[in-house]
Amino acid sequence: MEKKKWNLRTVIPLATIVISLVFIVVGLKDYGFWKGQPTPGFFPIIIAVVLLASSIACFIQIARDSGSGAVHYNRNELMVMLGAAGIILCTFVIGLVPSCLIYIFLWLRFVERASWKVIVIIELIMAAIILGVFTFWLQIRFPMGLLLDMIL
Amino acid sequence: MENFASLLAGFQVALAPENIGVCLLGAVLGLVVGAMPGIGSLAGCALLLPLTYKFNPTTAIIMLGALYYANMYGGSFSAILLNIPGDSPAITTALDGYPMARKGRPGQALMTANLSSFIGGTIGILILTLTASGLATIGLMFGYAEMTIILLIAMTSISWLIGENPIKGIVITMLGILVASIGMDTLSGAPRYEFGNMYLLGGIPFTPFIIGCVGFAQVIKLINEREADEKKRASDDSKQKLSIKQSMLTGHDFKRILPPVLRSGFVGTFVGVLPGSGATTGSMVGYAMQKKFKSEEPMGTGAMEGIAASEAANNAAAAGAFAPLLALGIPGSGTGAVLLGGLMMWGLNPGPLLFDTNPDFCWGLISSMYVANIFTLMVAILVIPFLIKILSVPVKYMIPIITCVCIVGAYSTSNSMYGVIVMFVSGIVGYLLDKNGFPTAPMLLAFVLAPMLEENMRKAFIASRGSLGIFADSPLKLVLLAVFLVLVLTPTVKAVRKKLGAKEKTPV
Repeated sequence: MEKKKWNLRTVIPLATIVISLVFIVVGLKDYGFWKGQPTPGFFPIIIAVVLLASSIACFIQIARDSGSGAVHYNRNELMVMLGAAGIILCTFVIGLVPSCLIYIFLWLRFVERASWKVIVIIELIMAAIILGVFTFWLQIRFPMGLLLDMIL
Repeated sequence: MENFASLLAGFQVALAPENIGVCLLGAVLGLVVGAMPGIGSLAGCALLLPLTYKFNPTTAIIMLGALYYANMYGGSFSAILLNIPGDSPAITTALDGYPMARKGRPGQALMTANLSSFIGGTIGILILTLTASGLATIGLMFGYAEMTIILLIAMTSISWLIGENPIKGIVITMLGILVASIGMDTLSGAPRYEFGNMYLLGGIPFTPFIIGCVGFAQVIKLINEREADEKKRASDDSKQKLSIKQSMLTGHDFKRILPPVLRSGFVGTFVGVLPGSGATTGSMVGYAMQKKFKSEEPMGTGAMEGIAASEAANNAAAAGAFAPLLALGIPGSGTGAVLLGGLMMWGLNPGPLLFDTNPDFCWGLISSMYVANIFTLMVAILVIPFLIKILSVPVKYMIPIITCVCIVGAYSTSNSMYGVIVMFVSGIVGYLLDKNGFPTAPMLLAFVLAPMLEENMRKAFIASRGSLGIFADSPLKLVLLAVFLVLVLTPTVKAVRKKLGAKEKTPV
């Protein structure tokens, strides 16, 4: 089974090949390369050509290098990503600060199985950092979300 | 003499109450962040960048400089006590630091690391004081073509040095440049590659991009270190008690560490000045050099000389890296790229003219490094009895905290959820790239340097009316071009040789 060859390591150079082609085509079509002097497309097109060449070389190198071990992904890594995505989505409903504090509680309680004492301490520290440093000191107005916007 | 007069004027800036306060804050935060295994100076600077927005540029960069600097000290703490380097420059410190702690001398190992960091750092800052403005004067002789080649050298050298695979280094560097070219054309201000999206019109915001690529990507990786961290904490190593009195070095110990510290201090500084090297390479060179000299105990078995060489070199390199950053606008490492990006955000353009246009800033920063070095040493010694407590914060609790700091920080620097989304996407991309052997530091460096490279390259072509001859019409340009070609061709030649060698060894 040659399944190993088609992992993300092979997909990355393919993705950069596509990106470079987009930059070359859009650059030549919309921004030009040279009109008596360099145009806005000049520099990105040169870079995209180098990216294209190096990505092809990289793809060939990875495809030939069957000896390199497969990269293993951990389910927990996905949990971190989903957690952050959850905060972003919840921000639109309940606001950013409550989303962060709820996320910390859920993570510590259900993923790490931390004690209530640890959870309270960390929640207090984070509330102090977010509200004290960012809201009061740096005067950042964090989004309130649909729900809080309606209530307040 | 002129440099020292400027330095004295710089001390007036550095010793302003506000600057002393942030310098101390940077030193404390740097030590804590450095001591926490797995965060590192790059992520630390990126995560704390939003906090500096409240300050003026000088105060802000003094805080970041102190933080970066103190990080080098902090990295050795967990390396010595837990055998987990807090940051990559501390990897070589762990080789002798941990065995020395196991031999029952953890306090002396920490004190050796602190004093060596202080002396090595002082050597680095002294050399920076003497050479930075001279380097800037040389930089003034550079035109668009010379600057183009120098920027290319900086970008390619970091690709070669950081990753094992130069092709991946080029791919990632070019990707960083293309990401930076989204938004507005640097010369005409015309919209470019915004694909009809009004958010992309303003380009990819620097701070959320950096926080994502470094900070958030680091959190995703950190989750895999939870179990190892728990095991380490459960061992007896993390239950020892330390005191300042027990950690004092004897006269004989001083005699042992002084020669390697002085040697590594000088070598580390010059390694730090080279584009693309930085503190990690500095500590490795310093440690490797020490192996060639005599040590009282064999290296790798708890030799004080090993800790001294590694720590002196990484602090000296951290100081040396400021020379090309300030004088030429070329950062030596990923952390340097974050500092450079910060400077640009505050409206400062590092480069040869900076010493003329903003002497208060330049000399204020350099003199603040002396202050930061003293503060960090003091804090690092005073913190010894509490180190076990600081290091006992488990990695697993850091994960939700850093995730929230990334999100809040990304929002606060862009005042929009667009910044948070950029942070999130760049974090996942950075994590996937890193996991698959594509180092992200060259991408950050390329992202920061790309506008400068484009501007210089296009102006060179405008001046020469499209002739490539402008890049080779003087001896200086030819030398620079030769350096660039050597950097580009060396890995290729090495790869070909390796292949030929492998073919010869294969039995027919």
